[in-house]
Amino acid sequence: MLRFPAVGRALAGAAHSKGCLTSSSNVRTSVRASSNMVEVFVDGKPVMVEPGTTVLQACEKVGVQIPRFCYHERLSVAGNCRMCLVEIERAPKPVAACAMPVMKGWNILTNSEKTRKAREGVMEFLLANHPLDCPICDQGGECDLQDQSMMFGSDRSRFTEGKRAVEDKNMGPLIKTIMTRCIQCTRCVRFASEIAGVEDLGTTGRGNSMQIGTYVEKMFMSEMSGNVIDVCPVGALTSKPYAFTSRPWETRKTESIDVLDAVGSNIVVSTRGGEVMRILPRLNEEVNEEWISDKTRFAYDGLKRQRLTQPMVKDSSGQLVQTTWEDALTRVAAMLQGVQKSEVAAIAGGMVDAEALVALKDLLNKLDSEALCTEEVFPTAGAGTDLRSNYLMNSRIAGIEECDLLLLIGTNPRYEAPLFNARVRKSWLHNELQVALVGHEVDLSYTYNHLGDSTQVLQEIAAGKHQFCQVLAQSKRPVVVVGSSCLQRADGAAILSAVSTIAQNARVSSGVEEGWKVLNVLHRVASQVAALDLGYKPGVEAIRKNPPKVLFLLGADAGCITRVDLPKDSFIIYQGHHGDVGAPMADVILPGAAYTEKNATYVNTEGRAQQTRVAVTAPGMAREDWKILRAVSELAGVALPYDTLEEVRDRLAEVAPNLVRYDDVEEANYFKQANELSKAVNQSLLADPLVPPQLSVKDFYMTDPISRASQTMAKCVKAVTEGAAAVEEPDIC
Amino acid sequence: MFLSAALRAAVSQAGRQVRSLHQSAARAGGAGLFVHRDTTDNNPETPFEFTPENLKRVEAIINNYPQGHKQAATIPVLDLAQRQHGWLPISAMNKVAEILEIAPMRVYEVATFYTMFNRQPVGKYHIQVCTTTPCMLCDSDSIMQAIQNKLGIKVGETTPDKLFTLAEVECLGACVNAPMVQINDNYYEDLKPSDIEQILDELKAGRVPPPGPRNGRFSCEPAGGLTSLTEPPPGPGVGVRADL
Amino acid sequence: MGEYLNIVRRAAGQITGHGGVRGLLLQLFRVNDLKTGALIGVDKYGNKYYEDNRYFFGRHRWVVYTTEMNGKRTMWDVDGSMVPAEWHRWLHCMTDDPPTTHPPEPKKFLAKVHQINVSGSSECYVPYSTTPKKIHEWVPPKVGQQ
Repeated sequence: MLRFPAVGRALAGAAHSKGCLTSSSNVRTSVRASSNMVEVFVDGKPVMVEPGTTVLQACEKVGVQIPRFCYHERLSVAGNCRMCLVEIERAPKPVAACAMPVMKGWNILTNSEKTRKAREGVMEFLLANHPLDCPICDQGGECDLQDQSMMFGSDRSRFTEGKRAVEDKNMGPLIKTIMTRCIQCTRCVRFASEIAGVEDLGTTGRGNSMQIGTYVEKMFMSEMSGNVIDVCPVGALTSKPYAFTSRPWETRKTESIDVLDAVGSNIVVSTRGGEVMRILPRLNEEVNEEWISDKTRFAYDGLKRQRLTQPMVKDSSGQLVQTTWEDALTRVAAMLQGVQKSEVAAIAGGMVDAEALVALKDLLNKLDSEALCTEEVFPTAGAGTDLRSNYLMNSRIAGIEECDLLLLIGTNPRYEAPLFNARVRKSWLHNELQVALVGHEVDLSYTYNHLGDSTQVLQEIAAGKHQFCQVLAQSKRPVVVVGSSCLQRADGAAILSAVSTIAQNARVSSGVEEGWKVLNVLHRVASQVAALDLGYKPGVEAIRKNPPKVLFLLGADAGCITRVDLPKDSFIIYQGHHGDVGAPMADVILPGAAYTEKNATYVNTEGRAQQTRVAVTAPGMAREDWKILRAVSELAGVALPYDTLEEVRDRLAEVAPNLVRYDDVEEANYFKQANELSKAVNQSLLADPLVPPQLSVKDFYMTDPISRASQTMAKCVKAVTEGAAAVEEPDIC
Repeated sequence: MFLSAALRAAVSQAGRQVRSLHQSAARAGGAGLFVHRDTTDNNPETPFEFTPENLKRVEAIINNYPQGHKQAATIPVLDLAQRQHGWLPISAMNKVAEILEIAPMRVYEVATFYTMFNRQPVGKYHIQVCTTTPCMLCDSDSIMQAIQNKLGIKVGETTPDKLFTLAEVECLGACVNAPMVQINDNYYEDLKPSDIEQILDELKAGRVPPPGPRNGRFSCEPAGGLTSLTEPPPGPGVGVRADL
Repeated sequence: MGEYLNIVRRAAGQITGHGGVRGLLLQLFRVNDLKTGALIGVDKYGNKYYEDNRYFFGRHRWVVYTTEMNGKRTMWDVDGSMVPAEWHRWLHCMTDDPPTTHPPEPKKFLAKVHQINVSGSSECYVPYSTTPKKIHEWVPPKVGQQ
C-alpha cells in the first residue's frame, strides 16, 4: 500500500498556491515574499512561489502551459515521459519540469531553442513506437499526443525501422485496450493504485518491450475504472461502449449532473443527433474532483432502452395499451376529481427532480391530501427530518480531507457513493486519516479499523464503553458518517439516535471549533434530500397503513408498494421514464423525462443544489415531469399557479430557498437539539448485524431503473461474476 | 440454429487467432513474454512454499530494511524463491507478494523487469553465453557453437533431461576474460571450445568444475603476464629522505 | 350576323351537350370548365374521353371522370390518376389512336384493375428507417403471462 505524506503536502501546497493565485493581490504577494516565498522567473517574468513548487507548477502560475504526458495534477509525479523538458538558464541540461522543484532565482526558459529541440526530440522518440492510426483511433480529436505533436513535434520522423506491437489486454466490458498505442506514461497505473486503490495495473518488462497490463489474465475491477480512459493521454485505453460511435467534434456537450447516486457528480453529456453518445466527468473540486464512477459514466445506454415513450392506459382486459396524452390526462384528472381527501397518495422515487417534487406536492395539497412519501426510508421519530442537519452530509465531501478520524456506520461508501469513497481514500493516503467502520466488513480500498457489525457496538460507543471511544476522544476533527441504507431498518430511529449521540460526544471531546460538523448521513438516491427539504414523508409506511384509492407513483421503482398492499379497486398512476418495477402495475402511465432530458434541480447528499440541463429531447411523447403534473392539475380543476420553469423555481424558492441557490450548500445546524430530541425515541436496537445492501462490486452496477436497463451494466455484472472472457463483445472491441 | 451458433463461435475464434499474427518483440524472443499465460506447470496452483529455513532467511532479509518498507525486500526474496524452486512460477511470485504484504502486481513488475528472474522453467544448469562485442571479438560464437553441438539444443531451449538451458545474454561484465559463460552463479572465463566441452562433461557427471579463467591466469590479470609490480616489493623507507 | 348566330348555337349546344341545365351546372362544378366534343370512348370504370379539335392543342382532349371508381366515391373527389394506362397514352397525346380502335397489346405488367394513387391515404407508402432505433421503448408485459 502506498502512502505519500510528502506528496500529500506537496499537493496541499499546490492547492494552496492556486488559491493564492485567484484570491491574492500583488500587495499580498509581496508581503508573503518577505516570509517564505521563492522568486523564480518564467521567461523573464518574476513569480513568487512556495518552496517545493515544481518548475511545471511555477510555469502554470504565470499561465505558461508545459507539454506533458505522464504528469497529472492528481497523481504522484512519475517523470518518465520527458515531454516537459525545459531549459533552465545556466543549467547544463534541460530538466523535467514536472519533477524538479524550483530554486531561488531560476530563470525557466519555456520557449528557448534548447527547450524546443528537447521537446521535438522526445516527441520523435514517442512517435517512433506509436502507430500512426489516428484515423481509426477513438482518441482522435482529443488526443494529447496528437495535439502536442502538432504543437511541439517535428514534421517528419527519421525512424524507418519496424514499429513495436503489443498485445491487447482484456480489461473487462468497459475499457477497450489498444496497447500498441501506449506510450508508457503510467498514468493509469498510478490512477489504479492511488485513486482507485486497486493495484492490478502495472508495468511489466523493460525497455522496448515494456508494457502496461495486469500480467495475469485479470479484469480491472474497480468502481472507478472508467477514469483511466480520461487519464490516458493517447488512445491506448478507450471506452468500449463508445468505440467507433462518434468523434469529439461531432458531439454537442451539455454540462449536467449525475443522478445515479446521491453524490451528484458533475458531468458533461455528449450528444449527437438526439442521442447520448457518452458521459464524461466535469471538474468540481467540491464534489467529484475530476472523476466519476463507472455507473455514472457507462449507464447511459440505459437511457435508450426500456423507455416509456407513449402514455399508456389499461384497457378492459387489463393490458396496457398506448394512447394519447388527452386520453391519459383526462383519465388521471377524472380519478383525481372523483376521490375524497386522504384517498389519494403519492410516492416519489429516487431520481425525481425537485421541480417535479414540488409540483406533485402542490397538486396533492390542492386536493387536500398530505400523503406524500419517498421510497427511501428515514427515521422520523425524534427530530427526524424536521431538522435539516439530521439528514445531510454536513461536513461535505471535501470536508473529509480536513478530518483526522472518520467513523463509518452501516455503509459501504465504495459502492454507495464511489466519489465520496475516493475522497476518503485520498485523505487516508495523503492526510493520515484514520478510518473505523461499524457494519459488515467490506473492501473499501483502504485499511480501516473494523469495530464489528452488530448494533451492540454502536450502543457501546454511544455509551462511551467501547475501547474505540479513546481513539474518538483523542481525535481533533472527527467525522461520523451513517449510511442511509442502515436507517431503512425498523430500528433506524434508534440507530440514528445512537449515531447522533456518538457525534455529539465526539464533538464535545474533540473540542473542535464551532463550525465543524460531525454528524453526516450518506444518502443513496439523488432525490432524497430535495424531497425531505420539500416536506415529503420518508418511507411508505403511512401508505401501507392507510391504503389510498388513487396512488401516484412519481418514478417510484424500488417496489416498496405493490398491488397486494392496496385495495382491489385502487388506481395507480405511474409517471416516470423507464418501464421497470413501477410501470407494469400502473393503470395509467405518463411518460416523463430522464435526467439528461430536462432542466431540473437535484440536491446531493451534502444539500448542494445543482441543476441538470437538457442534453437531448425526451423520446417520443415523453415530457418534463413538472409539465405533466401541471397539465394534470389543470384538467383536475386545481390548476397549479406556474407555467414556466422560472415560475416553478420561484415556487421552489418559496418552499425551500436553498433549492434554487445552485452550487451552494446551505449549512444546517441544531445538532445538539436534534440529539436531545433523539434521546426521546425508543432506543432498543435490533440484534441483526448492520449489513449494507451493496457488498461487492457486482451489487454496484445495477441499482436504479436506468442502470437496470443498461446492457453495459449487465455485461459488467456478468464480467465480475463469470470473468471478463465470458462477455461476448463485437470483434472490433 | 445450434450449428450456426457453433460456426459463429468458430469464426470469431478464428478472428482472434488472426489478430495474434501481430507478434510483439517480447514474444519474438528476448526474455520471454511479459504477460503470464497459465500452463500446466506454471499457474497460480503450482505448489510453492518456502522451506522453514528459507522462511527464516526471508525474515532476516525483511529485517534488513526499515519498518514499514517490506516492499524493499522484493528482489532478495524473489531471488530466494528462485534459488529454492529453480525458477519463478506465478505461484511463487504470489507467495512473495503475500509475505511482503504488497499487491501481486508489484512483484510481477519487479520479476519481469529483471532478466535474472526466470519466469519459465530452466534446467538444473542455466548456461548464459555472453555474445556482446568484446566476447564476440574473442570468438564467443565458437563457444556458442560448441555448446549447441555438444548439447544438441538451440538458444532458449532446454535439454530433454532438464539438465541444461542455453541462453544468449548481453554483457556480464567480464570482458577482460572474454569469451565467457555463466553457468548458474559461476563464471567460466577465457574459454576455448574444448574448455566448454570439458566443463559440460564435468557438469553432466555431477561435478561442478572450479569457476574462473581457463588459460591459467589468476582472475583478471593481464593475459600476457604481469607488466608491472613484477619485482618483490621494496621494504619500508624506500624513496624517503635519508635523514628521516 | 352569322357569327353571333354561331355563338348562340354553341351556347345552346352546351346546354344540350351536357344534358340540360342541371348537367351543365354539374359539369361546371366538377370540371370547372364547359366543353363539348366528340365522345371518343368510355373506359370500363366509366371515365368518358372527349375530343374537340377546335380547341388549341393541349386542351383538345379531356376526360370527364366517373362518379364511382374502385369503391371510392369520385363525384367531387377526382384525381388525375383515375385515368388507366391505356387511355393515359391517348389523353396525353402520345398517340392519336384511342384504345377503342387500337386496343393495347396485353401485357402482364398492365394492371387488371387500375389503381388510383394512394398518396395521402392510409395506404400510402411510408419510407421506413433502416438504421437501428435510437430509443427502444418499453413493451408492457402481456396480461396473463406473469
